[in-house]
Amino acid sequence: MASENAPETGKCGVIVAPSDESPKERLAHAVLDDLLYNILHDLLLKVHRDEKIARANTAAIKVEKLAQNSVDGATDTKPDVEVETEAAVYKDGKVTLKGNPLKTTKEILCPRCHLPRLLYPTDGKGARKPDPGVIYCKRHPYIEKPGYDIYGQTWVAPGPGRGKKKQKPDPNDPNSPITADVSAKDRPPNVLSFPSATCSKCKRCILVTRLNNHMGACIGNSGRTASRAAAQKISNGSNVGSQNDNTPPGSQKGTPLPSSRAASPRKRDADDMDNDDGDEEDSSKPKKKVKVINKKVIIKTNKSPAGTPGSISVKSKDNKPKTSSGLSVEQKPDEPATADSVVAKPDPSTVQVAPKKTINPSSGTSKSASPAKKIKLGPAKPSLPPPTAAAAAAKKIKKEKDESESSGTLSSPLR
Amino acid sequence: MATKPAPPASPKNYKVKAPQPGTPMYGCEHLQRLFNQDQATTNTSIQHYKSILRTIFDASPVLSQTAKGIDGQAITTLTPTYLCLQCPLTLTEEDRTKHGAKKSHRFYVESRSGALYCQMCDDIVWDPTFEELRIRKMGTGTFSASRKRKHEEMFASSDPIRDNPSYITMNTTMSSCKANGLRGIYNAGATCYQNVILQCFLHNPILRNYYLSDGHPSSSCDVPHCLSCAMDDIFQSFYADESTNGYTAANILSGFWISEKKAFENLVTTKEQDAHEFFQFLAEELHERNGDGKRPEMGSEHTCNCIIHQTYYGKLQTTTTCQNCQGVTSQVQSFLDLSLPLENLAQRKKKGTAKPGPLTLQECLEEEYIKQDKCEYRCNNCGSMQQAKRQTSIRRLPNVLSIQLKRFEYKQGRNERAAKIDTPVQFPLQLNMLPYTSRARNHDVSQNYELQRSCTYDLLSVVVHVGEIDTGHYVSYCRVGDQWFVFNDHKVELAQKSDVLNSKAYLLFYCVRSLS
Repeated sequence: MASENAPETGKCGVIVAPSDESPKERLAHAVLDDLLYNILHDLLLKVHRDEKIARANTAAIKVEKLAQNSVDGATDTKPDVEVETEAAVYKDGKVTLKGNPLKTTKEILCPRCHLPRLLYPTDGKGARKPDPGVIYCKRHPYIEKPGYDIYGQTWVAPGPGRGKKKQKPDPNDPNSPITADVSAKDRPPNVLSFPSATCSKCKRCILVTRLNNHMGACIGNSGRTASRAAAQKISNGSNVGSQNDNTPPGSQKGTPLPSSRAASPRKRDADDMDNDDGDEEDSSKPKKKVKVINKKVIIKTNKSPAGTPGSISVKSKDNKPKTSSGLSVEQKPDEPATADSVVAKPDPSTVQVAPKKTINPSSGTSKSASPAKKIKLGPAKPSLPPPTAAAAAAKKIKKEKDESESSGTLSSPLR
Repeated sequence: MATKPAPPASPKNYKVKAPQPGTPMYGCEHLQRLFNQDQATTNTSIQHYKSILRTIFDASPVLSQTAKGIDGQAITTLTPTYLCLQCPLTLTEEDRTKHGAKKSHRFYVESRSGALYCQMCDDIVWDPTFEELRIRKMGTGTFSASRKRKHEEMFASSDPIRDNPSYITMNTTMSSCKANGLRGIYNAGATCYQNVILQCFLHNPILRNYYLSDGHPSSSCDVPHCLSCAMDDIFQSFYADESTNGYTAANILSGFWISEKKAFENLVTTKEQDAHEFFQFLAEELHERNGDGKRPEMGSEHTCNCIIHQTYYGKLQTTTTCQNCQGVTSQVQSFLDLSLPLENLAQRKKKGTAKPGPLTLQECLEEEYIKQDKCEYRCNNCGSMQQAKRQTSIRRLPNVLSIQLKRFEYKQGRNERAAKIDTPVQFPLQLNMLPYTSRARNHDVSQNYELQRSCTYDLLSVVVHVGEIDTGHYVSYCRVGDQWFVFNDHKVELAQKSDVLNSKAYLLFYCVRSLS
């Protein structure tokens, strides 16, 4: 193309050179415009091909079906009949088109199951309600909706305090509207929870997110981690079966805040207790208690109990505060002599500082080892903090659970 | 009328493709009339179509893009022209109507894709007979399916699965339309590095065909905790089950834990790992289960007919030229993947000594497989320690090319530590590997369009690492048909091409185009 008669623009007509440009500039514009045209042309051709072939095949499938039905009951795949639809002709076992399938055929049948294809997604971007009276091919258009996958599924967020999940937050988390508190029953069907799988060695059922760790402990007896893994296995052993409870071992030991604990819904506490009745509590608790007792722990209950240093110091006592904090008034019979002063400076609104000496006799007598939670149950009723604090604390409880593991590590130096 | 497709090359009489159930026999009524006139018309039409396709795909594009106007003036254009099926004229879109009116020639071939335009329909027509020729020409460069490849030395011997598409249909027709291989894989606790590699394997067409055609049926394998059986299971549940929930790769995981590969001992841990190492581990493990059982020695010229070798392995040729006596020695090694260092190039970019603009994959390849480097070398001819020029090129391209961008470098120095290079590297959806082959070194191949086409690769999967060197997360992008998906553990979402191309890739998988 000679440059002197360079056109204003190319075939697409979108990129137009200003009229005062030099011929070279105009040629450059025209070339760019032509390239744009080619891109669109190629894209269109691709879509056209897919769509036209799909419709042509649909026309063929329809007329073949019709032919099959017309010879009623015959199993012959090529019935010797002549059938005609508005889109195709069936004759001598061959299908020929009538007219342009893009015009004559409106729907698309799946070439495999011969059911109509759903043409729009059922949810998210570009969604349309499918006709409830039609059975569609099972292959649906993919759903594009934030927080959901291509099938419109979403996942139950990993529960609070589920061990390792913390460090690497699950990508769905922020988007997922469903919390772990929703039980399986009242979840919508497109909300899935993490499955469990069977370990090929010990045949136990392990939650999938723990599978790798479990196999490392169960199968992998590799070198230096072996002893640690074995130790872990022993200590976790009895727990493995009940992986689904919301409280991992770490947070079972870690103690949430006094105020929150007291305020948390009682039912929940009871649940936790049931789970916690297990092994390590019994063995570890008594020792810790004894050590902790002599410490002067100052509980500064601020407005934000979960994050304050005060809360950490409380937790540092590990299990013990559970008992005292859960019920502010409660006391332990076996401790009074040593636990000289646990001073708490509470937020004025909450009432929970209780020197340990105010003993709750009933719980104390139960057991000297006194699994904390059991004690809590009885006396909890009288000592509930004011409702406002309770509400605030209830909100916090999840957070605390998340943090409980890290706070557990903090506890060691204090001992 | 013919009833079965015949190889169109040898017999003089061309035949129309046999009718398939569920597809019309002709692209449109008008083509039906053309094919039903007489055998001579059918022959000339198909012959012409083939010669036009040859012009379009094998010759310089100037030929097919140059139209002859009605006034006899030649016009070369970038936009599509139309080649008349019934006479040797090439026309612009405007002249096409006039030509049709004058000569009543009704069929034209579009010059950019080889698609057939019917003037009476005023539409592009996709005729089964012509489409088969066109697809074959675009893919392999030849019209005949059975003909041996011309460039066998560059490719693995054609695998039987590729030649037998009925394997796929046999296995897929039985399964539900819902089972399409798109499922997430649950993270079993820092196993995202495994998940991304598994997804790349699952969406690799060659491996998929192999496993779905009972390449390694898990029912008849006696090896306990065989990883290949685990792969078979995972393929089955991805492509045959209706479930859309994530998959729990327990078998892979236990096979992986139980595997006694000493070389990969450091992988067997509950910590986060390198996806590339897992790729190598899985590839070699599957090779052992499916292949000749020999451990592939790193750097040797090991060939084997197992599926992994046919899929991923290519060959590198290193030529060393002695500066003293000009003696040349060459060495051939097989490779599973190409590892491209980024650090030097990234630094050069920063200093401005390299070409401006973002770093591209092609630049990285050029650095490794075109440029020469110098090395100390003991020459066998003259027996002296010499400076020698060393040049590496690709002798045989694999069917699926895996490229690792070395983002994780171990920096030597005072404070030795590993660091992650975050430099973005631009990579194309289509990659022409011809310049990096040994063949391109010796001959001028710029005009050989057929050879270029056979070295064209399409992006198949991308593995991306987000986060720091010691902790982070892997996600992968895989292409199914023309649609991209992002696989984030158990979650599968649609992805845009721009998402894929803007990602900071760590591993890239390209599939040779002639396969697809």
